[in-house]
Amino acid sequence: MLKDALLIWKFRSGDSGALAKIYEDHRQNLLRIAAGLLNQTSAAEDIVHDVFVRLAQSPDKVRLQGNLRSFLATCVVNRVRNANKAAQLRRTSALDEARAVAADDTGPQRWIVVNERLTVLNNALAQLPYEQREVVLLHLQGEMKFRDIARSQGVSINTVQSRYRYGLDKLRSLLDGEIL
Amino acid sequence: MKPENEVERFVADTGLDTHAERDREILRDVLRAHDDFQQRRSQLRQPQTWRTIMRDHSRKLATAATVLLAVVLFFAVSDWMTKPAWALQDAIDALKDFRAVHIVGAFPGGTADVWIRANTSKTQSSDVVVKGSHGTITWTQDGATYHYEPNQNTVYYEHALTLGVTQWLGPELLEMLSTAQNVEVVRGKDPATGRDRVTLLCSLIDVQGAQSWIIEFDVASKLPVAFKQWGNLDRSGPPRFDALKVTYYEDLPDSVFAVHIPGQPVYVQKPLTIPDENIGVLSDTRDGLSAEGMTQQEAAERAVRTMFQAVIDGDLATLRKMCPLCKNWGDEFLRSVLLKTGKNQRIVEILKIGPISETGHSKLGPIVALPIAVQRQDGLRAEQRVIVQFRTLGGVSSCVVHGPYGLAREIK
Repeated sequence: MLKDALLIWKFRSGDSGALAKIYEDHRQNLLRIAAGLLNQTSAAEDIVHDVFVRLAQSPDKVRLQGNLRSFLATCVVNRVRNANKAAQLRRTSALDEARAVAADDTGPQRWIVVNERLTVLNNALAQLPYEQREVVLLHLQGEMKFRDIARSQGVSINTVQSRYRYGLDKLRSLLDGEIL
Repeated sequence: MKPENEVERFVADTGLDTHAERDREILRDVLRAHDDFQQRRSQLRQPQTWRTIMRDHSRKLATAATVLLAVVLFFAVSDWMTKPAWALQDAIDALKDFRAVHIVGAFPGGTADVWIRANTSKTQSSDVVVKGSHGTITWTQDGATYHYEPNQNTVYYEHALTLGVTQWLGPELLEMLSTAQNVEVVRGKDPATGRDRVTLLCSLIDVQGAQSWIIEFDVASKLPVAFKQWGNLDRSGPPRFDALKVTYYEDLPDSVFAVHIPGQPVYVQKPLTIPDENIGVLSDTRDGLSAEGMTQQEAAERAVRTMFQAVIDGDLATLRKMCPLCKNWGDEFLRSVLLKTGKNQRIVEILKIGPISETGHSKLGPIVALPIAVQRQDGLRAEQRVIVQFRTLGGVSSCVVHGPYGLAREIK
């Protein structure tokens, strides 16, 4: 937490080395969360790319209430929600794009190196309702507390805990025989 | 939040790798965006910074963290030191072997590296260099202060040491702090390291305007390890300078203080100014002396002579009448910091008052700066520039001493 505060202090003071360190420390986890939420690696890459660029352009807006990992995870989630809303407005074309991108997921320009375990997990996560998926990923990969997730989703902590429980139960059945 | 079962562990532990080349490309994008933002911010802040420098004496060197110490030490300061709660003497003992200090910190819009070295007698700073993250450099040399702005390829200068520490770290500091009236001490632990620390909070109004500080001392090493400075009395808003790291040296080589400016910059002298917030204190018609029928030189010389004679005589009433800013401080503090009662550095004689060297204007009227050479009890001679404020109040012309213009210099 203090390490995060120091890093943010340096970053806000104009230290590009601090920004590079934030990127180095968090890019893979953010990609993991974005990919889990979207189940599209190219879209996930765009989201995380945008999050870092926006972060670089607005250091004064960084207000750390928890840890940096949670803060960045929340940024990713917010962007994914925006992307989802936009996608709902042009649902048909979005689905077409998704298929096209999925076919290109292993190309040389890709950022994420897709592995079998990640594919299994993301395919399972994709079958959860979005809210459950978000809670599971933010709690387990973003290391966010239920209280903070509840604030982020605008629901009660009980609702978040229920979503988490239902999400895990469904994942358990989906991943049965896949984990071990 | 630890995973409790296999599914949770599977989700938490499933990682991914990234293509290194793409990592580098995206990092380049991110850093480019950051650079663009920094440049835009710098351009937006530049005119404002300079306007602030022009207008506000206390901020004339916006990158100068050292102003902090200058004030703490010049006029500073309460009785908390006399209490046994915390032995500042230990801190002073720890400090007195160091002749140089390196400070890393941030000011609004960037970071700064500050190097300060004391004079050989360790009474005050003699060399200061402040290097800002955007290429600005501020330094002192031969009794003048310079500030290089790379975006303007310009060096602004003034013939006074307005950057530095008026009282070097040592026993004198202890004595000044022991006479302070507005200091608060808080004991606690450093949340970062868990080490015991003592935090000193203080504020005052002086020639630099309103100032306040938080200074943190590490209890084990007895050394000040961090500080923040604000340009107001209540430490509100972002600090003017936030020093995160302070490193002490027995000495530093001359090369650290040798400044080389690239290219052929334009040199521009800074105008003489005083803080607007001090105008009110200088406006009392009962203070100062009449300037009717006198030239500015005659009146200014008389005001400065009267003030310094009051310092020699230990006449606090006259001192406060001639230099109204002194009304902000108690008797004990004035004797300790200005009169230096019982000290070798006490002024014993006025040697010479020179001609007006700089002129300017405040909201109250014309201001002038002129040098005064004095003999100290320790045999050394010093030159101090002083700013005098002229005003016409109720149709009567008069003047008062605003205060010192930069640090005093030892002379031969």
